[in-house]
Amino acid sequence: MLLALPACVTGSYDRVRLQEPVAEADLAGLAPGRSSLGECLQRLGAPWRVVEYDVDVDGNAGAALLWTWRDAAGWGIEVQYGDENLSGSVSYDAVTAEQPACMLWFDHLLVLQRWRFGTAGDLLPRRQRPAPFAAAAGA
Amino acid sequence: MLRRTSAASLLLLASCALGRQDVNEPIDGAALRAFQPGATKAAEVVAALGAPTEVVQLGRRSAYRYDATRTKSSALFLGVINFGNQDARQDRVWLFFDDKDVLLHYGATLSTHRTQYALPWEDVHEPEDHAARDAKRAESGR
Repeated sequence: MLLALPACVTGSYDRVRLQEPVAEADLAGLAPGRSSLGECLQRLGAPWRVVEYDVDVDGNAGAALLWTWRDAAGWGIEVQYGDENLSGSVSYDAVTAEQPACMLWFDHLLVLQRWRFGTAGDLLPRRQRPAPFAAAAGA
Repeated sequence: MLRRTSAASLLLLASCALGRQDVNEPIDGAALRAFQPGATKAAEVVAALGAPTEVVQLGRRSAYRYDATRTKSSALFLGVINFGNQDARQDRVWLFFDDKDVLLHYGATLSTHRTQYALPWEDVHEPEDHAARDAKRAESGR
């Protein structure tokens, strides 16, 4: 049945390059427990995202900074089919992979605690609602 | 004969496309250099750069994000097979303020001028490429 439908199949090779990567070597001069936020920003440039981290009841908080980038290439295929009554398309995109990322965590004094490489999806917290201390203090 | 006809058909079907997309104005590097951690207030930053893209609460502190993105896309269509490339770079600044809205630190990445049109197999973003583009941007004062 499907084979009987008029179909158009196209292949594609696509590459996506986004942002500047962070390499292990870029972090070489940074020292957990010693390096300041300013020093890290100087070395790595501006992060992609900043999120609140480790907030205490007095409203002191650290920060987690995420750098992410992508240089991925891959083949894809698209199948389009249809007539006047029925049409549609199916596509497969091998480029869409999780984006590499590096996250740095800073304590309440904005001193580097640690870093980790992974994917943006793994490293960023799922929920990023601001800490409720201000509302509690005002209540 | 069949091979020659196929090659000719392929050439007839061949086409290419280029596209550029800009989101926000590139960030003014000269304005950034005027900011002084420990002295500049958030209001001064906003007066110089306009409204930030995002403000993040960090306990009693805050951080402002400014960004601009340039994306250059190129595609080569050969009928049944197509090649595409997308290159995107950002100007991005994060400014961190204390609980009195005084600037603590800022980090900047200015890269929109490094974006390039290319095909997927081409190498771009080599150091010498960047150096030439950086110098051109520096000349323009931004």
